Amino acid sequence: MFLRSSAIGLVLLAAGAVNGAAQAAEFKWASTTDPQTLDPHAVNSAPVLGFLNNVYEGLVRRDQDMNVEPALAVSWKPIGDGAGWRFNLREGVTFHDGSPFTAEDVLFSYERASNEVADTNSWFAPVKEASIVDDHTIDFLTHGPNPIFPGSIANWMIMDSGWAEANATTLPDKDNGNYATLNANGTGAFRVTAREPGLRTVLEPFDGWWDAATHNITRAEFTPIQNPATAVAALLSGDVDMINPVPIQDAARLKESDEVEIIQGIEARVIMLGFPHEAEALKYGPDAGQPNPFRDVRVRQAVAQAINVPAILATIMRGNAEEASQLVSPAMSGYSAAHSARPAFDVEAAKALLTEAGYPDGFSFGLKCPNDRYLNDEAVCQAVVAMLAQIGLKAELDAMPVRNYWPELREDNYDMYLLGWSPGTFDAEHPIRFLVTTPNPDKKLGSWNFGGFSNTRVDELLPLIQSELDAGKRQAMLDEVTQIVQDEHTYVPLYVQPLVWGTRSNIALTQRPDNFFILRWVSVN
Amino acid sequence: MLSYILRRVFQSVIVLLVVGLVAFSMFRFVGDPIDNMLGQERTQADIDRLRSDLGLDQPFVVQYAKFLRGAVQGNFGVSYRQGRPVSTIIAERAPATLELAAVSGFLAITLGIGLGVFTAIRRQGFAANAIMTVSLIGVSLPTFLIGILLIYIFSVELDLLPSFGRGETVRIGGWSTGFLTASGLKALILPAITLGLYQMTLIMRLVRSEMLEVLRADYVRFARARGLSDRVVNFRHALKNTLVPVITVTGLQLGSIIAFAIITETVFQWPGVGLLFINAIQFVDIPVMAAYLMLISVMFVSINLIVDLLYYAIDPRLRIDGRTT
Repeated sequence: MFLRSSAIGLVLLAAGAVNGAAQAAEFKWASTTDPQTLDPHAVNSAPVLGFLNNVYEGLVRRDQDMNVEPALAVSWKPIGDGAGWRFNLREGVTFHDGSPFTAEDVLFSYERASNEVADTNSWFAPVKEASIVDDHTIDFLTHGPNPIFPGSIANWMIMDSGWAEANATTLPDKDNGNYATLNANGTGAFRVTAREPGLRTVLEPFDGWWDAATHNITRAEFTPIQNPATAVAALLSGDVDMINPVPIQDAARLKESDEVEIIQGIEARVIMLGFPHEAEALKYGPDAGQPNPFRDVRVRQAVAQAINVPAILATIMRGNAEEASQLVSPAMSGYSAAHSARPAFDVEAAKALLTEAGYPDGFSFGLKCPNDRYLNDEAVCQAVVAMLAQIGLKAELDAMPVRNYWPELREDNYDMYLLGWSPGTFDAEHPIRFLVTTPNPDKKLGSWNFGGFSNTRVDELLPLIQSELDAGKRQAMLDEVTQIVQDEHTYVPLYVQPLVWGTRSNIALTQRPDNFFILRWVSVN
Repeated sequence: MLSYILRRVFQSVIVLLVVGLVAFSMFRFVGDPIDNMLGQERTQADIDRLRSDLGLDQPFVVQYAKFLRGAVQGNFGVSYRQGRPVSTIIAERAPATLELAAVSGFLAITLGIGLGVFTAIRRQGFAANAIMTVSLIGVSLPTFLIGILLIYIFSVELDLLPSFGRGETVRIGGWSTGFLTASGLKALILPAITLGLYQMTLIMRLVRSEMLEVLRADYVRFARARGLSDRVVNFRHALKNTLVPVITVTGLQLGSIIAFAIITETVFQWPGVGLLFINAIQFVDIPVMAAYLMLISVMFVSINLIVDLLYYAIDPRLRIDGRTT
């Protein structure tokens, strides 16, 4: 049976009769990526965690403005003198299968998510031990004072220990999958009623949810649609109520339609250029084999001043993005307001810097770029090549799919590269830990610092930032690191990537900067 | 006859082994699955551990041997992306592709032969010329564009048919069918036309030119002189003699309908094996890619074999040649 109500632009598919009252609250949405698993501890990626946020819950959660608010914990406070954190758990919460939520489940989920086979184990690197105080109180003891711990576990989701044991899924198994790969049992606002990987996933509201529901959805269906043109057509024809993302080039056209709305925002992801800080020689272009000019801070500054970011945003991003001056966007905690200005776009100054550095005629090098990872990434790189040509830097662009890209960066096969970084903790400490500190595999530091940048002051400050409880002192240290990164031009931050979602005009929802789509904030009018 | 079949089967197995070897030697150029499987906060140790768990640190010949050992026992491994056995995933997806291919193939053959005969008999007529002109669209426009155009016209503008997906399906045993629901049938229309259009025009043009050839033959003129009706002349004598090349082409095209459903399936988000393959490439899901490529080559090789055997049945001259060689 196939009904279509063009008045509300909503399609209802059902094999049998369709309940009339349900019409206004059936919701369908599409995105390019299917969550590859329903196991909240198996894969640490935005499509998985974003989707599962509707089904599972953590001790804390983020509200519409990314602030941390109570979820399964009603309150938390530091214990001892920076020894850790105590969480008081919510009472009367049940999982989807009806079993009660207790501290036992939190301890179990901690052990499951911090196991070495779990992709989420890095979240618990600062944790020494978790111990149950009583049925609804649990302590997390940390190696040192850790002010950001509650915020850093907002995506750590609690699983029922009894359910996991009964279904032999006490550990995540990414390689072979297990019961939790296809089934879910959380405490969240929605429960999974059908799951066909890569095809569709059906969610229905959980009647026993502890919080008051603000949505009016009775059934929600998610379909991955890879082809952007198909997704746009599906939205226009009303086959889906929401798509994420909308291709930037289609956004202006869709805005003119009465039937759909475009919702724009700024994502947490900063797009930047990176350099080889350690390499002895250039690797690509006619000057390959020559000493590496990017070790000279003046050359890096020249690159920063030669790039006209507003022009890139106006043309390639069609005015949908914002300039970035540092490694995090202004929406993140720890953003350094004192360092909000990019180096001025000034071709003459850039040329003068190159002359001073001993390259009056410029040089040639290779720029590596992904072509399917960030919005319009290849076009941005082409623009960078053209802009650098104005100061005599001849970049050879090599754009490739992201599946080939990371291996190239890991092998140090670049003279300059494009990188986007979205801090998982929504805090400025995150990119310092991954992108700026000296790489140190044993301490799990600097794992994305491909260029091998190293600054002893930054290395000194990172542990202090991680353990400082006083917000003012912490911000002062973050400011200092930001100053160093700007002075050294460790990276050239370009812009904060835009978020562009499309909805039918009868849908109201909230777009969060982490690009998570939260179903409980949707209302169908 | 038997030795001929045995020889052909033996050749087919060699072809399959070579296809597999070439495929495995190419996989490392597709990219590295590791980064897709590990999150942002992975360490070098995680990368090394996963790579050795998956056997990706070994030479491709070793990986291929491991794959073959599993494949002969019906075990194609576990998908990197979904963490489920590849055979289960393919079995889930195959009905969608096979139903789509069956409908498109049926459309292509019936309409192709019908229109081909029509345009050959009425070759001066206005209708025949119009069909011939329109058929140029079918051979010259890329599938991708045809699909998008159809979606735009029938889903976005006219709001008649769904823009993507398969509609509601009904499970019968291990088979999920879209034939039994109204939404399933509606969802089939656009993808089937998109996928079958090229084959249809190809068959139509082939039948037409073969027919024109045959209609000039002496035996057709004699048949007319004997006063046989047009219907008997056109269909019993002329059409039958055009069928040998048509069968060859149709057979091979049937294979490509299944293999090249990839594009149509991507445009319509049709949940078949083609879409699965595209996803596998994006994710560098080597077990799925390997199984898909092997299945497609088994299919092509078998279709070739069947076509060869059909010649045998249709054309008596081949049977004589077969005996002498």
